Amino acid sequence: MKAPQSPSDRETLLAHAYAIENEAAERYQDLADQMYGCNNTEVGDLFSKLAEIEAKHAAELSQEHGAANTPMAAADYAWGNLESPEAIPFGEMHYLMGPHQALTLALAAENRALAFYMDVVNQAPTDDLRALAEEFVVEEAEHVALVQEWLQRYPEPDQDWDVDDDPPVQP
Amino acid sequence: MTAETACALTARDYKSDLKPVWCPGCGDFSILMAITMAMAEVGRPPEDVAVISGIGCSSRVPAYTSCYGFHGVHGRALPLATGLKLSRPDLLVIATGGDGDGYSIGGNHFMHACRRNVDLTYIVMDNQVYGMTKGQPSPTTPPEWDSALVPGGTGLRPFHPLVIALAAGANFVARTFSGDPKGTAQTIVEAINHPGFSLIEILSPCVTFRPEEREWAKQVHPASVDPTDDRARAARRVLTDDGFNTGILYRGKRAPYQPAFNPDDAANVDFEAEFLP
Repeated sequence: MKAPQSPSDRETLLAHAYAIENEAAERYQDLADQMYGCNNTEVGDLFSKLAEIEAKHAAELSQEHGAANTPMAAADYAWGNLESPEAIPFGEMHYLMGPHQALTLALAAENRALAFYMDVVNQAPTDDLRALAEEFVVEEAEHVALVQEWLQRYPEPDQDWDVDDDPPVQP
Repeated sequence: MTAETACALTARDYKSDLKPVWCPGCGDFSILMAITMAMAEVGRPPEDVAVISGIGCSSRVPAYTSCYGFHGVHGRALPLATGLKLSRPDLLVIATGGDGDGYSIGGNHFMHACRRNVDLTYIVMDNQVYGMTKGQPSPTTPPEWDSALVPGGTGLRPFHPLVIALAAGANFVARTFSGDPKGTAQTIVEAINHPGFSLIEILSPCVTFRPEEREWAKQVHPASVDPTDDRARAARRVLTDDGFNTGILYRGKRAPYQPAFNPDDAANVDFEAEFLP
């Protein structure tokens, strides 16, 4: 696979933006399904809601900026890791996690997306591309603020949050 | 973006509609993603790929892909995959499974699959425990691992799959970590593209029965040396490392075993007829 390069034209940036929102939506739904499978409906519902929001962002992106739903080869995406920045890594999950932990992961994901777009702004070879990336920076900053606000509604978990007197069995 | 990349297959094209039932946090989620990403990178359409497995958590992988699949008998992924590849050399054949399935129940088949060197890629998701059956020690479990089922640990020397694979004749040997999906996908691509039998040992934490394995993320590190084609050197390296070196260890030069196969031979036609309605 090739070394990642920051998007250098409008079409490529739009493809990245669309992938970020779409993959985040898909990941949130995967995580919601995992939580429902463990009867953690509170966090399942939360991830489902986040999936809806991200899917809406992807649709808006497509509507406002034209057809961006043109997937590129995996190696052509500029993320440092294989995953797009807004996708929560699977390994971060725990079946007993609460909303505060879920939103903390979501906040980190939004911040990674924000950092990605800021990086594009800093490296953009043209004013047009920089302007588009700045637009995405503003949007992502709004998402970060939204999740931060949401996070305030849920208390931090107790120290023994992961103790389970009736541990799970494999389905 | 070029027209060529715009038409490329994506990981989603290799995913089925079934949702994995693994425990949240399981390393196998990331490995499944890496497998589908690698397939997209290789570019063979799903109908040209067969994913074969035995039994265990990680052996559920075929159901989660849109490729042809066979969820076989415990420990028998490799004989199935071998038979398929020999009779359908046009297919890309990938075998998946876990450490218990591959190294214990299927241990004998593992050695001989390495020896035969059929052009297969074998992906082992090693969590050093039997997760599906509630946490019994597997061949790769450390001897001191203490649990309710094995108080005080097994005291048994763990199986060393990479060294066994090298000694038995595998043509490509690598170790990766589930928490590095990009590195894992890259390695899978290289393994698929390398002729002969390829083993990829993927450290995949079992967060339910071995929660301490979440710490692997802090312990793994890329190997500081390049891959070698010297089997003895590779074996020495892997015997003396800390078990957390990741990367491609060995790229051999043995020609794969692929005898000529004529599907129109009378014997083959008769055999196939037994399976037709």
